Amino acid sequence: MRIFPENASSYGADVDFIFWLITGVITVASIIVIFLILYPILTKNKSRTKEQRYQQGKGFQKLKLIYLGIAILAIADFYFLFEEGPIWRNIEETLPEKEVHVIVMGRQWLWEFTYPGPDGKLYTADDVKTINKLYLPVNKNIHMDLQAYDVIHSVFIPHARFKQDVLPGRNITKWVKMTKTGTYPLTCAEICGIGHANMKAEIVVLLNEDYKKQMAKLYKK
Amino acid sequence: MNTHKKHGFWHRYFFSLDHKDIGFQYMLTIFVMVSIGGFFAYVFRMHLAYPEMEVPLFGLVTNKDYNMLITNHGLIMMMWLALGMLLAVAGNYLIPIMIGTDDMAFPKLNKLSYWFFLISVILMISSFFMKRGGFGGGWTMYPPLSVGDFGYNTAYTSFKDRFFTANTFVLLAITFEFIALLMGGINFFVTTLNKRAKGMTLTKMPMIVWMINIASVLFMFSVGPLIAGAFMLLLDINAGTGFYDVYRGGDPLLWEHLFWFFGHPEVYVILLPPLGIIAEIISTNSRKPLYGYKFILNLTLIAAILSMMVWAHHQFVSGIDPRAATIFSIFTIIISLPFAGIILAYIATLWNGDLKINLPMKWAIGAITLFTLIGGFTGLYLGASVFDIYAHDTSFVVAHFHYTLFPTVIFGSFAAFYYWFGKFSGRELNKFWGNVHFWLTFIFFNGFAFPLFLLGLAGQHRRIADYRQFEFLMQDPLPLYRQIATISAVILILSQFIFIFNFFWSLKRGKKVTSDNPWESNTLEWQTASPPPHGNFAVYPEVHHGPYEYNHPDREDDFLPQNKK
Amino acid sequence: MNTKITWREIPQARLAMWALIAGEFAIFGGLIVMYTLNRLKYESWGEMAQHTNVIAGTINTLVLLTSSFFVVKAHEAALHKNKEKVKMWIWLTLICALLFLGIKSYEYYHEILHGFTLPGTQLLAEGKHVETMYWSFYYTMTGLHGLHVIGGALALFFVMRHATKTEKDYHRIEVAGLYWHMVDIVWIFLFPLIYLIH
Repeated sequence: MRIFPENASSYGADVDFIFWLITGVITVASIIVIFLILYPILTKNKSRTKEQRYQQGKGFQKLKLIYLGIAILAIADFYFLFEEGPIWRNIEETLPEKEVHVIVMGRQWLWEFTYPGPDGKLYTADDVKTINKLYLPVNKNIHMDLQAYDVIHSVFIPHARFKQDVLPGRNITKWVKMTKTGTYPLTCAEICGIGHANMKAEIVVLLNEDYKKQMAKLYKK
Repeated sequence: MNTHKKHGFWHRYFFSLDHKDIGFQYMLTIFVMVSIGGFFAYVFRMHLAYPEMEVPLFGLVTNKDYNMLITNHGLIMMMWLALGMLLAVAGNYLIPIMIGTDDMAFPKLNKLSYWFFLISVILMISSFFMKRGGFGGGWTMYPPLSVGDFGYNTAYTSFKDRFFTANTFVLLAITFEFIALLMGGINFFVTTLNKRAKGMTLTKMPMIVWMINIASVLFMFSVGPLIAGAFMLLLDINAGTGFYDVYRGGDPLLWEHLFWFFGHPEVYVILLPPLGIIAEIISTNSRKPLYGYKFILNLTLIAAILSMMVWAHHQFVSGIDPRAATIFSIFTIIISLPFAGIILAYIATLWNGDLKINLPMKWAIGAITLFTLIGGFTGLYLGASVFDIYAHDTSFVVAHFHYTLFPTVIFGSFAAFYYWFGKFSGRELNKFWGNVHFWLTFIFFNGFAFPLFLLGLAGQHRRIADYRQFEFLMQDPLPLYRQIATISAVILILSQFIFIFNFFWSLKRGKKVTSDNPWESNTLEWQTASPPPHGNFAVYPEVHHGPYEYNHPDREDDFLPQNKK
Repeated sequence: MNTKITWREIPQARLAMWALIAGEFAIFGGLIVMYTLNRLKYESWGEMAQHTNVIAGTINTLVLLTSSFFVVKAHEAALHKNKEKVKMWIWLTLICALLFLGIKSYEYYHEILHGFTLPGTQLLAEGKHVETMYWSFYYTMTGLHGLHVIGGALALFFVMRHATKTEKDYHRIEVAGLYWHMVDIVWIFLFPLIYLIH
């Protein structure tokens, strides 16, 4: 049984790594916490004197232990931050060199994809469009200009571990690099009206030459 | 509750100025709201697991119905159940009696706040019956969706058309509710500072009084901008302004900031009162002083301040600057530390204690366990901004916030019900059915919420009426998970009827309490009659000790009431 | 703590008013921050601000400041339980409040005549989309403040009537006066932000 959908992007494995890292740490932490809760309940602390029970939590050993617990959690927390920082910067803050450029536009309730026309440039008169089907070449840095026409939508590509809200009036450029050919779903993850559930598109990841053929087909139309 | 026999029904339920009666009015009103919210949950869970089936008691669920159901489930549970039960009911009932005074500082203001609450409930319920149907824009109400008609493609023609829509009514309802809670909060604050019994210094107050007050103040400061924002959204809907319209210089992200600037502190507003309830119960039933009273208090204050700086972790992928996300990620991770300290202090209270595992204790320990182990720890996944890219707006988030809110709000409220019911009614709840209720709730809550984690990891995004069109979400065993979640949720909802019957039956017919202080607790509410008379105390108590002096080495008894010399 | 009790010495009504004022500041603070951020973003709003009536705004500021002075005098009279003086000073305050609302309505009237309305239909037709937001903020902020003026004036009126009729609860004059000062302070923030910065 697989937990995540099959990974098909260059940074998907990094996202999964963060998941497993945190899972590992909190499994250990959970075992400790379960022990801490269950031990007094199961043993009922029968043979304690009144003095032992009456502790105010001032200058006692246990307060130090609590500080220790907080410190351990802090170290774990900052370790997560340390590990995820470079990944976050890679996915969200930097844009690798552009090889393919498309516009992804969400509207009630479909996805509209725009590719550069024969001139190789976007935002010109010869751009071509597809609805609910996005053709992408494999192993290329793809820049996506993410836009919305009417309300807030969210581009979610589970197999690429990619998600970005799209807002009307804004252009957000993000990148993705698909590493496997095949057909992957692209869904809307932000409620956008009664058709929200029907907003789905397919990403068809093709080999480079197939992609060129596909584009040529689109230009002919 | 027999003190008002001379007054009639109307007086007791509508015009009474007694804080206990007002608390009871809030409680009954909230029961009505919870029933609606629970029914909605039942309908859409059934629809998710068995999409082709007509849901019994509702019928076929369309996409429009589905959006309306999830939206209003969220709104009702967050705004009316969680805020209402934990601030209004707990605050009203407990604060005056626990600080040893007769009533709130301003009983009439208190009454007025209940009236506003009632108006908000009426507005909310009437929003379901608008011509275009209930509000279906998600409980977060992001514009521009919430400004328009959610895509029903109905053109607005007149002001009347715009005003009588669910959007307007829901926003008005929320505004009224906030005003009610603000009035309540001011009342709590003044009562606590000004009307404490003689000798009760600030650090001799029970933890729950502190927690409700911190929560109220936090609420007051975080809600202000949202009230302004809601006013602007109302104008956007009804007067045609463009505060959230990007083509007119507005910005839809502004609402997200305002909403979450309130929304995240709200989580702590909701969390703190149950932590107070749990502190009372754990200390009493461990027969031990609460571990590190001032330590917990300081951590709570730190957490309250930090909570105003983490709001954008709900918006990591919403289009904010990714560099800002890093900063919010750090704050989010830091805010887990004070809560770790608080929870560890509670666990330290259990150690060496003379544990009495009774019903309130079971709820309290259940709440701590689930909240920490699953609710708290899964927060780390979402606080780490990288994994949030994937998990945001999936069922993982749904599972996470159910694991944080359900143990605190529901388990915490039940702990309080089982703990204070004797005081409140003078009768006992049935223990056997109480145990059945606890175990059914505990087991089936997990059965309902845990599969959602797995579904979320598999990429199931939120608020989708019908997953059948997504092939990758219909692979085995995902439909099975959905069914397990649904069946558990239905049993979970059904098992609450046990409590409701137990509650109302015991209120009328339950065994009379044999002692005014059945848990042998120290705090002042147990040192008066059950139920407390109008005015609470025959003689105003004078406080000599802190609230948690159990097993004091110099004393014969293992408890030492606060008003005992 | 017990020997130097501080909280309990504060009358509870005053304490409640402080809390209420803190809540009101959170609401207006939110609005002012949103407005200021937008103001910095859009330079064309300065042009719109020139269409406001600065003279009327200045007079209104003076009117409110004077009324605050009257409220202070009323409070002083209330401390001495001087019924007649309380009546006089509060009535003067109320006249100031009415004057303020009158001038504000005059401003609204002329702005609406010039086509600066809340949805800004005329500006939209001219293609000035962003500029309509200035007027939305203008009406929202001054309108909300105007409602507070009405509320504060009503509160002062009823408190005064109650106090002078029954000869008790004079402390309420002070509490309602505190609220009035809050209304005044909010205006002192709004006035330069809306009228003066071009």
